[in-house]
Amino acid sequence: MDVIAGLGQGFLVALDPINLLYCFIGVFIGTLVGVLPGIGPVSAMSLLLPVTLSGTPESGIIMMAGIYYGSMYGGSTTAVLVNIPGEAASVVTCIDGHEMAKRGRAGPALGIAALGSFVAGTFSIVALMLVAPALSRVAVAFGPPEYFSLMVLGLSILSFLTQGSMAKALLMAAVGVVIGLIGLDQINAMPRLTFDRLELVDGIGLIPVVMGLFGVAEILTNIEQQIRRDIVQSRIGSLWPSKEDLKASAGPVARGTVLGFLLGILPGGGAVISSFASYAIEKKLSRTPERFGKGAIEGVAGPESANNAAAGGAFIPLMTLGIPPNVVMALLLGAFVIHGLQPGPLMMSQNPQIFWGIVASMYVGNIMLLVLNMPLIGMWVQVLKAPYKILFPLILMFCIVGVFASGNAVFDVFVMIGTGVLGYLMRKFGYEAAPLVLAFVLGPMLENNLRKSLILSEGTFDIFVVRPISLVCLLIAAALLIAPLLPALRKKREKVALDATD
Amino acid sequence: MMLRRAEFWGGLFWLAIGAFVAWQGWLLELGTLREPGSGFVFFWLGLIIVAFATSIAIGGLRGEGPLLGDLWRGARWRNVLLVVLALIAFGFMFERLGFVICSLALLLFLMTVVDPVRPTISIPVSLIAAVGVWYVLEKMLLVQLPKGTWVEDFIPF
Repeated sequence: MDVIAGLGQGFLVALDPINLLYCFIGVFIGTLVGVLPGIGPVSAMSLLLPVTLSGTPESGIIMMAGIYYGSMYGGSTTAVLVNIPGEAASVVTCIDGHEMAKRGRAGPALGIAALGSFVAGTFSIVALMLVAPALSRVAVAFGPPEYFSLMVLGLSILSFLTQGSMAKALLMAAVGVVIGLIGLDQINAMPRLTFDRLELVDGIGLIPVVMGLFGVAEILTNIEQQIRRDIVQSRIGSLWPSKEDLKASAGPVARGTVLGFLLGILPGGGAVISSFASYAIEKKLSRTPERFGKGAIEGVAGPESANNAAAGGAFIPLMTLGIPPNVVMALLLGAFVIHGLQPGPLMMSQNPQIFWGIVASMYVGNIMLLVLNMPLIGMWVQVLKAPYKILFPLILMFCIVGVFASGNAVFDVFVMIGTGVLGYLMRKFGYEAAPLVLAFVLGPMLENNLRKSLILSEGTFDIFVVRPISLVCLLIAAALLIAPLLPALRKKREKVALDATD
Repeated sequence: MMLRRAEFWGGLFWLAIGAFVAWQGWLLELGTLREPGSGFVFFWLGLIIVAFATSIAIGGLRGEGPLLGDLWRGARWRNVLLVVLALIAFGFMFERLGFVICSLALLLFLMTVVDPVRPTISIPVSLIAAVGVWYVLEKMLLVQLPKGTWVEDFIPF
């Protein structure tokens, strides 16, 4: 289908009043969870996944997508005003954004974050619109070996980029696949690791696992320490950046946008990595790098653009290959599956109204976000003043409700509690949850494609190396896995992790 | 001293899990490479987990990572314990007492015992949240929540 015609059809879907409402709810909730530290897009999307059942597939997915890119916008507000990242991708924004706020320049910091995010968001949608159809045509030729190798590559990249020990990240990925495979064998319907429990025959649900590992674990981690919020008390002032600010930010926004989009496409990459990379590049390119960390507007403009562009780029592997590149996209995949849809190369031809409807809704959502972020900043500041001791019981209750509503089973609530405790202990012992969750989602596809490949090749592993795409993916994955063993590369990886921790 | 390292105990935990997964895979039947069985992937994943867990545990024995006790030094671990116990109690009573009573009790407990808030705030917030969420889900979104097998005869709505 022609891109323009597709987009036209998409706008018809996106501008439908009910879809406009869902889009607004999505970006509003997204901004809210972005603003609130302690609840991120993953928890919010898990919570609202059951709600999408009451509408059409496009409405539900438009809302879920809105939460994701809305949270990228909202995260900057908390980072600038409180020096706490509202969500992980805003960690870098804290550095210069909060310094600007302390020097009475909170307005321009928030303004440039919103403008940069808008530019990056819009660029990534245009790029998504142009790249996705081409990639879909290529992806039709993918067989089980290519899919298997691509998923191995995604998990390897995520493990490589995870902070701290790579052995722990790979271990988590293996555990994630195991948990994902609990239930009936897809090929011969044999129950596996179900321990004669009926509740486990259909497998463990994504929502309780995600809510436990991210929502409950986050709360348990937060309540064991005193959270002190240092909200900037001075007047925020005009949000519109000055001419000099706009001139200084133009380059960082452009570079951050392109970089973020490219990193967003990579399986395992995404918003967090791109914001760090953008900050590092801007600091390196600057004639006055000593200003960074002391309130340089480039240090806000670049990373904020990068994380928003990455949020758009992340839709490409999901929409064209059916492979989620990160946990948020894994949840979106869950939303598609709940509605009986399978994202992938055939999505654009079989369900054009959904693909183009989502793309068009992202244009609309970006405009809504600009409108929300600029004049409503005062309201978000008020939200930030709500004490955590009131917020966390409410968040916990929402987690329970979301999990119960997703499957109407108390068993899921216990799964959430169990994974919550596991997630809390994993944080304590330095194990990351992201590789586990991504592997949990990819697990069934990974096993299915591995077994199909072996059946096709009559039991030889040659099938993975004689096919060029599969070979390239496996070579890159092998290089990433071997890299930490080489001293020079290990230092580089540790530096990335250290920067991220700082 | 080495046995007090968090890495050692973390590694040991995953080692046990990995061994269990590999054993379960073995029981489920591995099949052949031409036709992998239901336990094929479980078995190999179990061994991979064992390998990584062993390397982590050995790291702990070599003195890598923090001491186990340091992980909770200065932390308000009592709060964590109380929240987990409250959630478990909630899980057990959810279908018996129903959503509204359970949520109300959970919210009041968390805002009174775990991280205290003034009653003038905790009581109205708990009431509004529990009843409000029930109303939105049950009445507006038509999501069924447990009414409570012990109390449904006494509830008029």
